[in-house]
Amino acid sequence: KKQLDINQNPNVPAVANGTPSVVFPAAVFGTAAGVGGEFGIIGAIWGQYVTQSAFSNQYKTIDAYQLGTADYNRGYRNMFANGLKNYQFVLDKSKETQNWNFYLMAATMKAYTTQVLVDLYDQIPYTEALQGTANLTPKFDDGYSIYQDLLKLLDTALAKPLNPGILTPADKSADLVFKGNLDNWTRFANSMKMKLFLRMINAKPQEAQAGIEKLYADGAKFLNTDAALTGFTNVKDKDNPMYEQNIRSLNTPDNLRASYTFTSFLIANNDPRAKYFFGTPAPTAIHQGDYTGTNSSYKTATVLVQRPDDPVVFMSAAESYFMQAESRERYFGGDGAKALYDQGVLAAFAETGNDGSAFIAPGGAYEYPSGSLEEKIMAISTQKWVACAYGVHYLEGFFEKNRTGYPKTSAVYSELDNNTVNPAYVPGEFVTSKNSVLGPGQLPKRLVFPLLETQANPNAPALVPITTPVWWAL
Amino acid sequence: RVTDAQGKAVPYASVVIKGSSTGVSADENGNFTIQAPPNSVLVISAAGFQGNEVNIGDRTTVNSTLNAQSALTEVVVTALGQTRSKTKVGYATSTFNSEAITRAAPANALDALSGKIAGANISKTGGPGSSTKVVLRGYGVIGNNQPLYVVDGIPLNDSRFGSSDNVDFGNGLNDINPADIESISVLKGTAASSLYGSNAKNGAIMITTKRGRSGKLKVEYNGSVNFSKVGKLPEMQSIFGQGWGGIFVLPENGSWGPKMDGKTRAWGSIVDNSQLIKPFSFIDNNIRDFYNTGVETNNTIGLSGGNETSQFYFSYGNVVSDGVIPTKTDYYQRNTFALRTNSKFKDFALNSSFNYSNKKQNAPFTGQGGSDGGSIFEEILQIPVDIPITDFRDYKNKFFNVDNYFTPYAENPYYPLYENKNQQNSDRFFGDVDMNYAFTSKLSAQLRLGGDITNARTFGYKAVNAPSIGSWNKGGNTEGASRAADVGSVSELAQYVGAINGDFIVKYNTGITDDISLEALAGANYYQQDQKSSAASITDLFIPGVYNLSNSLNPPTATDFAQHRKRVGGYAQAILGYSNQVFLTLNARNDWSSTLPIDNNSIFYPGASLSWVVSQTLGLNNSTISLLKLRGSYGKTGSDADPYLVYPTLAIGNVGLGFGNLTFPFGGVTSFGISNTIGNLSLQPVITTEAEVGAEVRFFRNRLGLDVALYDKKTKGQIITVPIAPSTGYTGLVNNLGLVQNRGIELALDAKPLDMKDFTWSLTYTFSKNWNKLKSLTTGLDNVILNTAYDASLIGYPGKSLTGIYAPVPQYTSDGKIIVSSTTGMPIEAADKGFYGNAEYDYMMGMLNTFSYKGLQLSFSLDYRKGGHMYSGTADLLNFTGNAYNTTYNDRRPFIIPNSVVQTGTDANGKPTYEENTIVIDEGAYTDYWYPTQNKAGSYYDRIIEKSFFKLRDISLGYTLPSSWASRIRATTLSVSVYGRNFLLWTPQSNFYLDPEASNLGNDLASELGEFRTAPTSYQFGVALRASF
Repeated sequence: KKQLDINQNPNVPAVANGTPSVVFPAAVFGTAAGVGGEFGIIGAIWGQYVTQSAFSNQYKTIDAYQLGTADYNRGYRNMFANGLKNYQFVLDKSKETQNWNFYLMAATMKAYTTQVLVDLYDQIPYTEALQGTANLTPKFDDGYSIYQDLLKLLDTALAKPLNPGILTPADKSADLVFKGNLDNWTRFANSMKMKLFLRMINAKPQEAQAGIEKLYADGAKFLNTDAALTGFTNVKDKDNPMYEQNIRSLNTPDNLRASYTFTSFLIANNDPRAKYFFGTPAPTAIHQGDYTGTNSSYKTATVLVQRPDDPVVFMSAAESYFMQAESRERYFGGDGAKALYDQGVLAAFAETGNDGSAFIAPGGAYEYPSGSLEEKIMAISTQKWVACAYGVHYLEGFFEKNRTGYPKTSAVYSELDNNTVNPAYVPGEFVTSKNSVLGPGQLPKRLVFPLLETQANPNAPALVPITTPVWWAL
Repeated sequence: RVTDAQGKAVPYASVVIKGSSTGVSADENGNFTIQAPPNSVLVISAAGFQGNEVNIGDRTTVNSTLNAQSALTEVVVTALGQTRSKTKVGYATSTFNSEAITRAAPANALDALSGKIAGANISKTGGPGSSTKVVLRGYGVIGNNQPLYVVDGIPLNDSRFGSSDNVDFGNGLNDINPADIESISVLKGTAASSLYGSNAKNGAIMITTKRGRSGKLKVEYNGSVNFSKVGKLPEMQSIFGQGWGGIFVLPENGSWGPKMDGKTRAWGSIVDNSQLIKPFSFIDNNIRDFYNTGVETNNTIGLSGGNETSQFYFSYGNVVSDGVIPTKTDYYQRNTFALRTNSKFKDFALNSSFNYSNKKQNAPFTGQGGSDGGSIFEEILQIPVDIPITDFRDYKNKFFNVDNYFTPYAENPYYPLYENKNQQNSDRFFGDVDMNYAFTSKLSAQLRLGGDITNARTFGYKAVNAPSIGSWNKGGNTEGASRAADVGSVSELAQYVGAINGDFIVKYNTGITDDISLEALAGANYYQQDQKSSAASITDLFIPGVYNLSNSLNPPTATDFAQHRKRVGGYAQAILGYSNQVFLTLNARNDWSSTLPIDNNSIFYPGASLSWVVSQTLGLNNSTISLLKLRGSYGKTGSDADPYLVYPTLAIGNVGLGFGNLTFPFGGVTSFGISNTIGNLSLQPVITTEAEVGAEVRFFRNRLGLDVALYDKKTKGQIITVPIAPSTGYTGLVNNLGLVQNRGIELALDAKPLDMKDFTWSLTYTFSKNWNKLKSLTTGLDNVILNTAYDASLIGYPGKSLTGIYAPVPQYTSDGKIIVSSTTGMPIEAADKGFYGNAEYDYMMGMLNTFSYKGLQLSFSLDYRKGGHMYSGTADLLNFTGNAYNTTYNDRRPFIIPNSVVQTGTDANGKPTYEENTIVIDEGAYTDYWYPTQNKAGSYYDRIIEKSFFKLRDISLGYTLPSSWASRIRATTLSVSVYGRNFLLWTPQSNFYLDPEASNLGNDLASELGEFRTAPTSYQFGVALRASF
């Protein structure tokens, strides 16, 4: 019998070797590969930053809103199996050892990762998820109750005593996001709470208000630096995941071209960030989804500039400022909102190496409006949309459009049949893709449940059309 | 001397002293010499003859006459390498002799048997040295379905070293020189192979090697040279030339342009303000001309001889084969040495076999190119039908080089052909020592120790190929498109696999009464396998043309892997005979395996078979019925798991993206997460149960024979990694998965319609049909996905075949009309994938005809397989590029999808309402119609094709020269033959693309999905010479 006891795999470590600092980076990779990989590309196209080239094919199904259950399942898989499972392991282990530092890190990243999935799919397995063989067919929970539980998790983590003193150098380097800066983690966790509450303004307005008011009442501090995975280099498989997937490992590197929706806004405002995003201050764009178009300028349509060392931003400083501005505007009579908005715009410009101060100065293109609440929300949301073009954070731009309705949806398509720009089109407004398979005026609001899940989990609910808003969306 | 009833010599008869293991073989003239004590009884037997026993008394010369061709005494090799009279065997077997195997001089022994065994699906998948796929009685296992190969009682490793979906270095069987084989017995059923245990759940192929014979030194030479030409190639449309969307576009990689008018026009890139010209017309044989003639030489020289106590056989074989792809991209060179000895000392016998095989092989890269470089076949398919492929041979020419090849969307196929390489060198040693001691005439013991060791070194590289800035392919073309650089790569793989197999067997034979006999054996088996492999690779070469792991901007990616497994087993078998008419075989085996959970690692499996020679009982032997035998068997085989599937582990925290990966170490940090595959602490062995009944009947003094078998095989608890919902936190669970059933019928007919003095015509015909069904799956699983290419998948659903091919289909209204999109006019995809057909053939038939006239022999074998479907990645690409024959539908004029409707809204009950579709697929969208990105629902009908085929598998014309001629060169026999292999292929009209046997997806179940831009097959013709001295 002893002779036959040779079945421990010598090629990999045993589970007993797993500690929070061994496992945490793997989990962050799972999240980054999801939001920065396939989901990043979907966000970039559905957020109308870019569109499919008229001379290649790769993303036509995304631009046509033709995504079925079999398409782009990897994001879902990576976020669950590489991300959430390992965050849960870190949570369990750090709880066991009372290592509340890692507990906060894992809780915050779990909240972020789960939020993205909920916002994409509306319902996902949560209470019964991540149990392996103990439950092979976890039931789906509704997005709202998942949000409530995430808030509870963040509260629990924030309430625990942190102890920076016990962080070893290895622990610090294992924190791929903040290098062991626990103050930043506290800020990120608070900002995650604010984000979750703001998402609820349409569906649960009172709860949203109460939650945000409490954050301020408790004196919460919010993120003032990017929560991001950085450190990518120009090396295969060590570079930005969207760059790796769309440029390095794909034969055709120029599928993603400038979308007229985005560039018309940048050009109309003389926004210097156009050069950062597209390599030229005046990008030649393709009208959203017009990949079958005959416009002669499409041949030279500008390719999205991706850089191998682009970070994968989970939450940007600018985003945090814009959320705070919105919160102040909604619940505190606008007290301090303008300053936070200005900080947000400046931070967003600064990330692209530009100075935005002229833009927020009186008379500047992005000067904070003095009009109605709605105008202010529109200004904040629009600037957030532009800011989300940095750091493959496109998905957030798409989500926020669905939450606030800004940028507005255009009543007309941006191009006329004779290949000229429709004079009725307002730069920066969303249009329905030229090759949309949806009904007129419809836009995608979610993804359908992925086949990887539905084929193996009979508890998956019936498919919901991609035009149906998720629970918090307009 | 051994002769037949007509007094002609019976060559190579076996002569054994009864009750001992001492024996010799007669030579080709029937002569033998044996040292035997007086009053010994000699047992004389030969394939195709009834055995005979002769008491020699005190004679020194014995003549024995054997009665011809009685199936009664035909000998088959059964499990554990034990030979048995076929009479005693209660299951179907097929046996082939050396001549049948080497007739058309194949480099792989099993290739000769394609279409000749009822119930065996044998296919060659590609070029020289590529894998051979052998499936007996249908796919039963999700995982390895290849049979167990056993050489002289020792299991042979059949791994495909260094192979992947895109590169095929062949399977382990290739390391055996067919010229060294004496015979092959195929044990299809579980009952037949169950004593082998674990590895034999898919049946076993028993290979008996050639042995030396006592007498003078004998030299045997087998040589052949053959030429190969490329076989079936895609049939292209010949009307429309280069372009896209109906317009001529210089840099496009497709034939979606205008109709070709034959006028001379400029084409390709503009270099230094100049352009090439050529007629805008279809080029016949464009792809065929890319290929050239392959040459294969196959030579074996054998020496054998010995005295009565010791004999030896030595051979050296050499195969050099260069396939139909220009250059040595498809190249195979094998050197084999074999040394076998048989010795006896009184009651003790020692036999040994040592085999060494060295291989050098180059395999083409098939499938889909990557960022490191392209794939030849994919590039060829993307050349418009009016552009001459062979012109590109000069791939450094300024118009055809990386900067200025006509399109940025593909690469000059000659570039990967000349610049990229996949090569393997392997050394393999296998052999055994077999000792026998006869305690008494009834009791003997056997000890057999075998080893099989392979060392394989695989090396591959792809060259850097980057268009320079401002060139045609870096944005300088009329579409402004750029080709991503091939960054190049180098990969190294070293693999070692060593196995040791030992058996100790005690045998006891006795006649209990005059009528009842007993043959019993009991034994123990030990099996151990160790593997070690190290792989390293780099991409992004720093200095072009230097292929070493140090030559990269990036650190190499390295992995290593070790694996150990052990298994011990005990077994017993008893054969009870009654009056030489009824035989009952009982057997049982128990294995204990290291790969199963330690507290539950025992597998027990019994079997029984019964055979009844009815003709003997009824005394029919001299009637028209020369033999009637009924047989039935029931057997179980247990099989263990692969190592390391039981315990949970960590795994490196790398993540796969849609293309590329995100990997550790990362900025000085590395990380392990919980492995995405969950091990299974309650893993069960796989149990295959098979019931079989059959009958063998022979008429007219054996001139006509029919063998029928019916079987019902159930494989339960296959061990695979089942995909599970990612929300569980894992992606796969190692599990015992359901029950697969294969039921089938096999029929073999042999006849000698003409048997005259100088002229004989004999034929064999086989038919088999298998019904495969996935009976049930582990709870919680709807289906099991076995392989996928784009949206086409090979899926097993409970209650259906394991090999269903599913892909997107359109939505239909209740009255059968296609629902199309109101904006594009293309079909809307139905929520669920549709069923396109099973991969499994409906049935298979084979026929072998042999005509002999004096020394002349003509034989040919036909192979027909009906039904079955496959996905074709070749078809996919040709439909994309508009080169495919079917893309001229409606002369490429605008059309409306026939019988289609669009949804107009919903009625009061919320039900959708429809009206007739009037949306035209115009010239611009016509191209899109043929590709899944725009027409996912409709385009798979052009990618999933029927697999039926009819092949003239081989044909040979041989002539044995009269011995008077042979003796002039001091040869005893001399024969020459001309032969062809895989000539004449017929496929259904809907298959415009390729030989359906071609596949680059391996040689097992997953390959049943079809192929993905694989290499074409080829046909061979050649001449073989055989001489013995």
